[in-house]
Amino acid sequence: MGLDDEAIMNEVRTGDVARLEVLFDRHQAGLVRYFVYLTGNRPLGEDLAQDAFFRVLKYRHTYQPGANFRAWLYQIGRNVYADHLGKHKPEVAMPQEAPEIRGSETPPDREFQKKQEALLLHKALAELPGEKREVLILSRFLDMKYEEIAAVLKCEVGTVKVRVYRAMRELSDRFFALSGERAS
Amino acid sequence: MNCERIREQIPECLAGRLDAAARERLVEHLEGCSGCRTEVAELNAVWRAMESLKSVKETAPDPAARARFLEVLEAYRAGMGVAAERPQRRIGWFAARPVWQAAMAAGLVILGVFAGRYVAEPRQESPEVAQLKGQVESLRQLVALSMMQQQSPSARLRGVSYSEQMSQPDRQVQQALLYAVSHDSNVNVRLSAVDALQKFAGDPEVVRAMVDAIPVQDSPLVQVSLVDMLVQVDARGAAPAMARLAVDEQVDEVVRQRARWALNKLGGAR
Repeated sequence: MGLDDEAIMNEVRTGDVARLEVLFDRHQAGLVRYFVYLTGNRPLGEDLAQDAFFRVLKYRHTYQPGANFRAWLYQIGRNVYADHLGKHKPEVAMPQEAPEIRGSETPPDREFQKKQEALLLHKALAELPGEKREVLILSRFLDMKYEEIAAVLKCEVGTVKVRVYRAMRELSDRFFALSGERAS
Repeated sequence: MNCERIREQIPECLAGRLDAAARERLVEHLEGCSGCRTEVAELNAVWRAMESLKSVKETAPDPAARARFLEVLEAYRAGMGVAAERPQRRIGWFAARPVWQAAMAAGLVILGVFAGRYVAEPRQESPEVAQLKGQVESLRQLVALSMMQQQSPSARLRGVSYSEQMSQPDRQVQQALLYAVSHDSNVNVRLSAVDALQKFAGDPEVVRAMVDAIPVQDSPLVQVSLVDMLVQVDARGAAPAMARLAVDEQVDEVVRQRARWALNKLGGAR
């Protein structure tokens, strides 16, 4: 088994910048997904992820040895996204195309229903305010623990808990409003 | 426990991250609270539906992006090699010891007197070699300027790095770097341009242009980089601008903090 992220980043920090290739391979896909969820645009997501890794290289000396690398990387990613938004206002919303559904054993009518559901949820998520969408992306789509999200957002774990709940609540309200039903 | 506190734990419970004791309390509460049961049902439906969106974004990244990154990494390593050859650290160590400075200065004066007296004719480079060197340097500048005007950020980045390797970059390169600092759309190109301007820092006009570039930047990283560069080149004339920046509510808090630090370093703090 290879070294953990933190040990590798420490090597990068002290001058062995070629080791960043390992961290790029481990985290590029996740970071691209983060940006694609935020922007709804894959080529843009790939560019922003690239930008974030350039900044890791440029600011490698600011990494605190032992600090959670993924949290630090996503902090940088947030700055990259903030800079992007600063130059490209208004905020880029997620596109509203119908997402593909995985699995072929689903019966056709159920498949259609799931597709509709995914489409409405996609639309509801796109309508969420940026900070609420972000906390859901980190917790639900990137499977980050609350402690890690707290490190990325630079806030308390309790604050993350409240933010995730409120974001879920708003997403749920928007989703059921669009579908014209409530869960029973 | 009240409903609000219980509901805040629902997403954690749905993700399977709630510890056993908290889950027990949640279940106990749900048994007697129909409002919270409805809340769990709704959030559970949405939580599960989100799974279908997860698959949509999980396409493998473009391999060309990896190739581009490795290219920049390689260029950066090459740049580090060049930077390591510069004797900056020795200058820092030397400057910190005034006794050594004085001794070395006296030694140099004596050496200068002897050299002036005994060396009859200074060695001169042949005109052909000088001309050839001049042509190579001009060609390098042309290449760097051309690269800095490319559409691709990585090509512009290479152009900026290339300009750093020139022994005597001319005014046109200097202007192109200043333009990149203020106007390039890519933050990484702007950051590299700031670094590349270090060799022009003796020119007060460049220092003034760097100071002027800070408020118009939209990236705090570039602003901090400019502040750092001004401190690194000991641009004492920039102290009043740092004082203004330190209290400017329009700029990022990190930038204000860095400006306060710079003010202290440049001797402008009261």
